[in-house]
Amino acid sequence: MKTLIIADEDFKTDTFHDLNEIIHGLLNDRGFETEVIEVGLQDLTFCKGCFSCWVKKPGECVMKDAASINRSFLNSDVTVYLSPVIFGQFSANIKNVIDRSLPNMLPFFYTRPDGSTAHPPRYDNYPRQIIIGYGEEISTEDRQLFLDITKKHRYNIDVLLYGGHHDDRNIIEAFNQINLAKIGDLS
Amino acid sequence: MKNIVFIQASPKINEPAVSQMFLEMAMDKFDESVFNKEYINVRQSISRHTQNNAFELLSRADAIIMAFPLYFFCLPGMLMSFLQDYSKFHQENNLQNNKTRIYAIVNCGFPEPQINLEAVRVIESFSRHIGSDFRFGIQIGGGPMMLSPHVMKAPFLKSTAQSLDKAFSVIAADVADENQISEKYINIEFNFSRRIYFFMAEKGWTSLAKRNGLSKKELYKKPY
Repeated sequence: MKTLIIADEDFKTDTFHDLNEIIHGLLNDRGFETEVIEVGLQDLTFCKGCFSCWVKKPGECVMKDAASINRSFLNSDVTVYLSPVIFGQFSANIKNVIDRSLPNMLPFFYTRPDGSTAHPPRYDNYPRQIIIGYGEEISTEDRQLFLDITKKHRYNIDVLLYGGHHDDRNIIEAFNQINLAKIGDLS
Repeated sequence: MKNIVFIQASPKINEPAVSQMFLEMAMDKFDESVFNKEYINVRQSISRHTQNNAFELLSRADAIIMAFPLYFFCLPGMLMSFLQDYSKFHQENNLQNNKTRIYAIVNCGFPEPQINLEAVRVIESFSRHIGSDFRFGIQIGGGPMMLSPHVMKAPFLKSTAQSLDKAFSVIAADVADENQISEKYINIEFNFSRRIYFFMAEKGWTSLAKRNGLSKKELYKKPY
């Protein structure tokens, strides 16, 4: 099994190191092959909303700096994002990775069973995505918001939170309950 | 005179931005003889390295009104970067007890406006973190309709245009302490058939592809 870990180079706090160690340990125990991508502000241009990845060069961003991340993401069985929780959201660097994954979807619209709109998947099979938000003092409101941003709108993505050593057991238990394998077409 | 800072945070470059259109509509509600209006384009501020000037303006603002598109159900990375840096500036300069009022105008390509809610909540959280007074957010679904001026003139969209106009007036009245806000999250949906909207979008994408020499089938490419 191949795992991709995406981390924010600018927020390598003590809490990050503790979390990172736990996740690496869990993946090593399973014998997973792990690739790590640490993203800094200069590594990835902001998405410019040009939609060329849909209508000019379908499936690929015209700015080349996201190609290797998107390739690694689609070739992985599991992708884990380690993101600081900032204003209840992903940090800018992690959000850039997510924004720049737009080529992996199709431009059209469809209605999901719950009545909400979505873009159809481009691929038949996507990695399991696990987003882990971390921070020393995350407020109750920000914790809930971090969960809602993904859980309310995107299917088949796991979201966990880590606030330090007191959460070690929780994060290990939650991680162990996730089926670490590709998930199909996101529906 | 109150200082009002308008933030345009569409990441688009040299292309019409719906966020800009909404922000201009909001700006028109503020009389220049009564308010001092300042404008920040986040993309330009970052690329021209003038963030510190922008942050100075923000630190003196009585009200901040920011317009941006929804990217993956929350803020675009570009705006996150700008707000993270402003928060740091705020902390480093010890700007405490700032009672700046903050408003958000968020638009998305999906027709349902309520999916903008979490993005507005992020602005609410940002306001809390810098000790400012978050007032409310305007959540707009089907924003790209604004890019078709001929459609916008259609009689069936008159009620939508009125709702938008009213919502932006509510911001101006709130800044001037002229009204009591009753809703924290104001939803505005274009009065348009969902089915036709989907159809128009599909037609739009395929004709854009054709202009780029691609067939509809090629839009489904799987490079990885």
